[in-house]
Amino acid sequence: MPWKQGYTISDERSLTDSELRWPDGAGCCVAMTVDLSVASGPEGITAADLTTPEALFGANQGLAALREVLRRHAMRATFAVPAVIAHTHRDLVRSLTDEGHEIAAHGFRHEDVSGLERDEERQRIARTTEILADVTGGKPAGWFSLPRQGDRYAVGAVSPNTVDLLLEAGYLYLGNGLADDIPHYWVSDFASRRTLLTLPYYYHFDDQFFLMFPRKGTGLEHPDALLRNWRGEFAAQYRRGRYFHMTLHPQHIGWSNRLQMLDEFLAELRGYPSLWNPTAAECARYWLEAYPASAHLRLAPTIWQDYPGSLS
Amino acid sequence: MTTIDLDQQLVELRSAADAYAARHQFIPDLTWPEGVRIAVNFTCDFDAMLLRRLLNEPPMQLAKGEFGGRVGIWRLIELFDAHGVKATIFTPGRICELYPEALRAVVESGHEIADHMWEHRVPKEPGLEEDHLAKTVTALERIAGRRPVGTRSSHSAALLRQYGFIYRSERSADQRPYYEYDEGGGNGLLNLPMHYVIDDAMYFNFNWLGTDASAQRITDPERVGDIWWAAFRQQYSVGGYLNVCMHPFQSGRALRIAMLDRLIGKMKTLPGVWFPTCEQVARHCIDHHPPRAGTL
Repeated sequence: MPWKQGYTISDERSLTDSELRWPDGAGCCVAMTVDLSVASGPEGITAADLTTPEALFGANQGLAALREVLRRHAMRATFAVPAVIAHTHRDLVRSLTDEGHEIAAHGFRHEDVSGLERDEERQRIARTTEILADVTGGKPAGWFSLPRQGDRYAVGAVSPNTVDLLLEAGYLYLGNGLADDIPHYWVSDFASRRTLLTLPYYYHFDDQFFLMFPRKGTGLEHPDALLRNWRGEFAAQYRRGRYFHMTLHPQHIGWSNRLQMLDEFLAELRGYPSLWNPTAAECARYWLEAYPASAHLRLAPTIWQDYPGSLS
Repeated sequence: MTTIDLDQQLVELRSAADAYAARHQFIPDLTWPEGVRIAVNFTCDFDAMLLRRLLNEPPMQLAKGEFGGRVGIWRLIELFDAHGVKATIFTPGRICELYPEALRAVVESGHEIADHMWEHRVPKEPGLEEDHLAKTVTALERIAGRRPVGTRSSHSAALLRQYGFIYRSERSADQRPYYEYDEGGGNGLLNLPMHYVIDDAMYFNFNWLGTDASAQRITDPERVGDIWWAAFRQQYSVGGYLNVCMHPFQSGRALRIAMLDRLIGKMKTLPGVWFPTCEQVARHCIDHHPPRAGTL
């Protein structure tokens, strides 16, 4: 087995707390992703998904309310936007950049790409990039592949080619990965040290897995657990000087009790001095310069052996 | 159906229950070393991404497990060391090839390395089962400098005894450590009971044991800390035992390390709390509450 292919996506060990530095001596990085997808299944956004009261709420009152809360707490977010949404809500998406938010790509229609042929996936990435560039006036720097509420795994899906194709298309970062809680490198080729910077994501800080989860009508509303996860992670990461991130969906977090909770949490968070709240692209640019893969990717040569009767 | 048939059913069911019960030897008069009121084993199942790989799960899932090897295990070592806790790391043999540096740090800090299967499965074919166990014992011995004596697996008791194992930590037929024997009444092993109530995966992992999205009730560390503290208090009051099962890819997340730090800190405010390795507990039980003559 070359390196640990098929087992790991990154190197042997994360950076320790003491190795971390943020711009201007900031003590902790705080990042926020807002997912504008309304896809319910692996095929991505369908006409049915777009024609629900929740989708309408998410694009109107929910998003407006969320933006207002972000504005109040001077929080900047990265909006993960499927090409379909950029196309159907062109002015809305464009207006987000005026408030200092970043627009990143989130698939053509937030479809599951894991089974796509390489050429098919390349075409989808190209078309998505083109549509977003047209709407925002600039090529997106980042690509997301976030999970949906009904997914089998709450982690998001990529194909064996995704990372390579994103590099080929000039993307700076992949917006969601789970191998670390700080930015880290996804190794697409061991020999040439070809890597794509990956920003951390974790479903315990994603509203959709706590609010009327797994679907509306279940009555399983656990905003308290979500809040305790946010608080607990923020406090712990702040103490360590690392990175805190949360993932929000306007159709979920924009609704009354949840919006109030977010508002209060952000007020608490803003009470801490020395936070750095970049967009994902700003964070990626800083990281690529401060911790370039050439110096910080610590890939040990493999000591793996193949045996009959064992996984290879 | 006649009365005779019903009576026959009673005989059969009773015999099944009796035979199962006879394979267990409890220790109702369990005592701990002088001054100890409760033994608490902190145990880690260090499979990282191996189980995900075994189930052919997609790359993002592998990355989720990888967190355990790149980040989680290091934080747990630091946490245990800060509290003077000696932990037991149940380690698949293959992890020796994936995260040797982390395992060397585990050994350096005086924690125990025990078996957690070769690649997180016990093959059904007896020859291959032994091959996997032998490989794991060799790999763990190379890292730890001594052979493992404990396992968290369903390896057959006869095979485990043959390779020098003295304990298993898997099931919970009693809250105290107890002995288990095979169908023939031999091959006794001490079992250090672990219960899903005190297992981080039950609360934090999405899709654990293949469950689908609608079955998920993921929760927060404060709630779990409260449950575990209540379990500890109850066992403390009866002079018992607690085995805390953690997975570095879950408990190694910063918010949970903080919860564990508070939990251990609270435990330490009470007198007589012992944080040994599983092997220390097993040796104490075997020495002071020996199994049936000649069985271990």
